[in-house]
Amino acid sequence: MNTKFLRLTLPILGGVILLSSFWGEKKPHRMPYREAGLTEKQAAAHLLSRFTYGATPGQVDEVARMGLEKWFEQQLKADLPEDSLDAQLVPFDALKLSNEQIAATYPKNGQVIRMAVKDGIIDKDSVKTDRKAYRDIIKDYMDKKGYKPENELFRQLYCQKILRAAYAQNQLREVMTDFWFNHFNVSVTKNDCAQFIPVYERDVIRPGAIGKFGDLLKATAQSPAMLYYLDNFSSSGPMDEMRPMARMVAARKAQGLNENYARELMELHTMGVDGGYTQQDVTQAARVLTGWTVRENEYLFTPNRHDKGEKTVLGNRFGPDGGEGEGLELLDMLAHHPSTAHFICRKIAIRFVSDDPPSTLVDRMAKTFTDKKGDIRQVLLTMVYSPEFWSPQAIREKTKSPFELAIGAVRSLHAKVAQPMQLYNWITRMGEKMYCYQAPTGFPDKGQYWINTGSLLSRMNFGLALATGRIPGLTFDLAALNNNHEPESAQAALVTYCHLIMPERDLDPTIKRLTPMLNDPNLSQKVNAADGEKEMDEIKPVQTAASLTQVVGVIIGSPEYQRR
Amino acid sequence: MCTVDGLIFDVIHTRCIKLIYMVTRRGFLKGGGLALLGVGMMGGIPGFLAEAAARDKITRPYKKRKVLVCIFQRGAMDGLMAVTPFTDANLQAARPTLFISAAKGGNDNPLIDLDGRFGLHPSMQSFTPLFKDGRLAIVHGIGSPNNTRSHFDAQDYMESGTPFNKGTASGWLNRAVGLLGHDSLTPFSAVSLTSALPRSFYGDNPTVAISNLQDFAIQMRGNPMAAGKVASSFEDLYDQTSPGLLKDTGKESFEAIKMLQKADIRNYRPDNNAVYPNSPLGNSLKQIAQLIKMDVGLEIAFTESNGWDTHFNQGAANGIFARNVTDLSGSITAFWTDLSTYQDDVTVMTMTEFGRTVHQNGTGGTDHGRGSCNFILGNDVNGGRVHGSVDTLVLDNLEDRRDLKVTTDFRCVFSEVADRHLQLGNDKALFPDWDGAHIGMMKPLS
Repeated sequence: MNTKFLRLTLPILGGVILLSSFWGEKKPHRMPYREAGLTEKQAAAHLLSRFTYGATPGQVDEVARMGLEKWFEQQLKADLPEDSLDAQLVPFDALKLSNEQIAATYPKNGQVIRMAVKDGIIDKDSVKTDRKAYRDIIKDYMDKKGYKPENELFRQLYCQKILRAAYAQNQLREVMTDFWFNHFNVSVTKNDCAQFIPVYERDVIRPGAIGKFGDLLKATAQSPAMLYYLDNFSSSGPMDEMRPMARMVAARKAQGLNENYARELMELHTMGVDGGYTQQDVTQAARVLTGWTVRENEYLFTPNRHDKGEKTVLGNRFGPDGGEGEGLELLDMLAHHPSTAHFICRKIAIRFVSDDPPSTLVDRMAKTFTDKKGDIRQVLLTMVYSPEFWSPQAIREKTKSPFELAIGAVRSLHAKVAQPMQLYNWITRMGEKMYCYQAPTGFPDKGQYWINTGSLLSRMNFGLALATGRIPGLTFDLAALNNNHEPESAQAALVTYCHLIMPERDLDPTIKRLTPMLNDPNLSQKVNAADGEKEMDEIKPVQTAASLTQVVGVIIGSPEYQRR
Repeated sequence: MCTVDGLIFDVIHTRCIKLIYMVTRRGFLKGGGLALLGVGMMGGIPGFLAEAAARDKITRPYKKRKVLVCIFQRGAMDGLMAVTPFTDANLQAARPTLFISAAKGGNDNPLIDLDGRFGLHPSMQSFTPLFKDGRLAIVHGIGSPNNTRSHFDAQDYMESGTPFNKGTASGWLNRAVGLLGHDSLTPFSAVSLTSALPRSFYGDNPTVAISNLQDFAIQMRGNPMAAGKVASSFEDLYDQTSPGLLKDTGKESFEAIKMLQKADIRNYRPDNNAVYPNSPLGNSLKQIAQLIKMDVGLEIAFTESNGWDTHFNQGAANGIFARNVTDLSGSITAFWTDLSTYQDDVTVMTMTEFGRTVHQNGTGGTDHGRGSCNFILGNDVNGGRVHGSVDTLVLDNLEDRRDLKVTTDFRCVFSEVADRHLQLGNDKALFPDWDGAHIGMMKPLS
């Protein structure tokens, strides 16, 4: 391979393409990684570690060949075909349903019992949820009515996320979907909101993940998932302005103004806690958003629940009688507030650069955010064309979340996942119960949150379980990873697989520490004697198969592999 | 009596040997007398404990580590069925099939009369001696000032400790860890026996969720030899990695494994022939007892109990609710019995997000309400009493004309228990938006 050619030509080519599509004439032609002392491949490994769920074997070389700029542009377009992924998702039939259809197909457990009582299937005085015979009656009833258990819906939700992250070609979009879902967090633990989450992710978050921030904000504000999660569905204006019927309903349900959403809208979704708003602003914003509720499983603005009075938020006047438009204006104002630009850009930099990103970088990104009216693509471009993104303080500074670790391992080994729930269980065990973070803050995006004595051990055990074939449904072919070349010695195997799994890193210390594992003949004999698993016998290179799989397990559980 | 470094302890229990051992280390490390320690002793203490001892702020003479054990009853326990104001005819009228009488001689077991006004559910018989001894206190009418009747919201508010603010990032027990005042903590300072970190534990202070102590090891199924080898490879790798989070935590993980290995968790035998119910709660409390007895630095423990959302056929003296309280009281009593000589160090507190409607509903159950009750067990508890206040349950006295009124803010009880037992002394940091007074359900410091 003529690396000189690559170095000189591809970045320029990539730059030209970028120039035409995204970038103004003043922008640099290429990402400034060489100034940071990185080779093309090292830079590709870094870029892939941030904008994919982990490089697949050979992907670093591929991206370096293609040009980092071009790869990034392609990912920002997010229009690569997903045929193979789509085929894997076919069995998950709930993923295509609307909120309405989901509500009709996956009723909540309590609803089922009420319906069964109403239909005379069970006697209201004999509801015994803890008896098997009783549960069988309910199950039979559900089958007849065509209802499916709620848990099946969530199972499909979890599985699709795992499969998308592992196999999507448009990796950046999946990573950004995860980022924004966590930013606009909703939780399966909240019963009222749970069944709306699949559609929320599919129709609100993913389509908006690399669009305009303001559009995303509005879409979340009008999603049943968010309206239930932060209670705005119940928030209404003063009761004396309501019609008598509405007043009676409101009184019975103890309704009135609910500030939850308005508060988190400012504190977590837009301006940040130090963004410069007051409690008064929160209350006023909550009044602006009264009447934004859910009817027939979809968003609806209900004028009779809206507070028609005049409100002032951050010095701007809303109403009187502004209806739904007031709320839209409010969201627009918040989306374009300077505090929001800064808060959002810092959060993006924390995700993609380091737990404590430099303020020079955040300021530059915030300027783009403001200049380009919240265009998320432009903000990401500013970030990766900044020297801070490539600085030694950023390289491998992030700690993988349990999800990133699990999916990364699947991708590193080109593994097949036939039972995604098995991975889900491991991810939970490592400390990340997907879609179930209770607080609206979302999972904290910092290494400290993920790493404690218990979770670190689980990570090591995950590596071992995966590599030694103890995660049901998860299969991979170590020999194929190395193009079926048999390494000449145990030592060669160790070096080869370390570099395959963790490309473009200084692995000398890791290799040195792992060498004794291979050189202990005692170990391999004992391992073979003790562990009669089939897959162990199938691979027989020079070193014993068992010790190679164990080494791979230790690599995945190693400190180096926890970093990205 | 024995004297160690100026502190005097009574040698009463075998525990004192361990205690002196700790104090000795701490004293010597502080006083620069490290050389006097035998090599054998040094080897016995994990490095992080030694470091913790060395760096610990010693603001008062060393005392045993106090442990607060919190049990969250998820789903909202019917406080009026657990501890029934049985003399109130309004309640009997509102609950034709759920009310249990205290009168003896009927077909069912009667309530256990606590004080002539309140009766304990008959399935909580094992609580009776603890109550009579003055170790078990009940607070009735406890709840949140926020009147939400959503499980999610109410649990969230109770666990964050800020009933009007969803955005609070930390949980109250995590803040309590911070207020313990140690410069460094052990891996087991705050442990939740749950599969995921509970909201109460969210935050910056180190806490850990462990669903089963036996999982706390490097696992190679049926292959202990390989497990040992692999473990030492991991230990090496984490030892050599660049300084920081992964290196430090890796070190602690392996030290923690070694500590637990010594204790032989699988073959644990509770003291005093205590028998834990074979339930998730029973198993969690058994493991908490093991951690306490291992002296691994546990100070805050958390676990939970499910199934309290009794909308349908909750039963009376028998049935779903009765089974739930049998498990709750049986698990706690077994835990207490098992603690044996550690009882002075431990306080147990239950909590639930809200209570249930005074009236039974159309399906033999109760719906979401407001006030409930909770149990606090410990030798520093002002027990043998039902604290708080419960009005006569006439319609006008009910919250929204349906629910037991919340008369005691949960923060008032949580802060008193935590302050008194763990000596935190900073309610403002524990519960930022609360400035109420304590109600004296803990004994004053003597």
